[in-house]
Amino acid sequence: MSTAALSTPDTRAGVSVDRLFLGLALIATAILLALVLLDGQPASAALIVGGFGLGIAFLKAEFSYTASWRRFLTRGEAGGLLGGLIVIAICALAVVPVAALRQNFGGAIAPLGPSLLIGAFTFGIGMQLANGCGSGTLYTVGGGSGRMLIALLFFVIGSVFGSLSLPSFLALGGIDPILASDYLGPWGGLAATLASIAVAAALIVAVAKRRGANYMPSRNYIIGGIAIGLLCVEVFAAGGHPWSVTYGYTIWGAKIFSALGYDFSHANFWQWPGNKQALTSSVLSDTSSLTDFGMLFGAMAAAAATKPFAATAWPPLKSLLAAGVGGLLMGWGARLGFGCNIGAFVGGVASGSLHGWVWFAAALPGCLIGIRLRPLFGLSRD
Amino acid sequence: MRKVYIVVVLLGLVAIVGNHLISPSSGRAMSPEDFAGACAPCGAPCPSKK
Repeated sequence: MSTAALSTPDTRAGVSVDRLFLGLALIATAILLALVLLDGQPASAALIVGGFGLGIAFLKAEFSYTASWRRFLTRGEAGGLLGGLIVIAICALAVVPVAALRQNFGGAIAPLGPSLLIGAFTFGIGMQLANGCGSGTLYTVGGGSGRMLIALLFFVIGSVFGSLSLPSFLALGGIDPILASDYLGPWGGLAATLASIAVAAALIVAVAKRRGANYMPSRNYIIGGIAIGLLCVEVFAAGGHPWSVTYGYTIWGAKIFSALGYDFSHANFWQWPGNKQALTSSVLSDTSSLTDFGMLFGAMAAAAATKPFAATAWPPLKSLLAAGVGGLLMGWGARLGFGCNIGAFVGGVASGSLHGWVWFAAALPGCLIGIRLRPLFGLSRD
Repeated sequence: MRKVYIVVVLLGLVAIVGNHLISPSSGRAMSPEDFAGACAPCGAPCPSKK
């Protein structure tokens, strides 16, 4: 097969297959799978496969937390937010009881304090400027958006800055994580978690009805929400913790900074045992990175299987600037806020940890600010 | 944009494989919260432990 043939999308029956990028995504995934299986780590392979599935599910369902939250805040439309709650409810069914009952499994927990509030609020601003959150950045980069490549680059840089800032913000104080299953047991904790999701859904629907907006999730969001929820359970089963995205970015950034000569030995964050080990270990030993890589290549395969990949022109400079600023804010905010909309909100709430709802409550006003700033960068408020 | 993507994907893949080959593997994939004393996904300690 010639190079020219490889680089030309193959169009049949209205479907355009971009064989070059489809092949690239599949080969890259196969290489990563081979590396972890050669190390005798089937759980790592399962994380890559889970991420690959998540990339496909997000891209095909066009499942966007950022756009959903923006539609809710600007127009009152609740369907997207409810689709996100479907993901959390399915995930909680496995995470709350298993994390409480089985060794080697744990929920996503985090302390409550100024760091969480400031981080989530900042993340909310950034996600609206970048037009993508933690998962959104991954699947749109995988889907061929050059704009989101810029967002990802600055997300990675911002998360390294966040890792250097976090200890100072933790010193401002806070209280230990509050986990429903610690107080109510595994099944009582699950009931309380599902009840909290139901209450949130009722409030969201009430707001939508009051504003005369649609509150029914679209077919895409229902099917996508179920698929993503089930894949979250698979990632939890393979990794022992709820799915997280942004810690991987921090590791990638720190490894790049280290390679460029930056010394992290004086940084408090990088002396904590897990981070110290992650900085020196293979990137394929980090659960978050494994699902991230899988998701990138899954979205790339799904995009290239149906249309010419990355065939659009670069957006205007102001839009790229918004992506960069948004990425930087999200990266910094994700470290201070103990994760993004996936690791902190989805993972936290699905674990029955109060910090998940606190993160959501702090990120929403940040989104409002971000939406107001969007026109400065030539982006619509819708 | 396609050329940029090809370069980014290939460089990224080389970086991942290179890092894996020159770094020690921790065996089972881990997260900082797997370590004792971690109170958050990033391994931050609990406020009560300070």
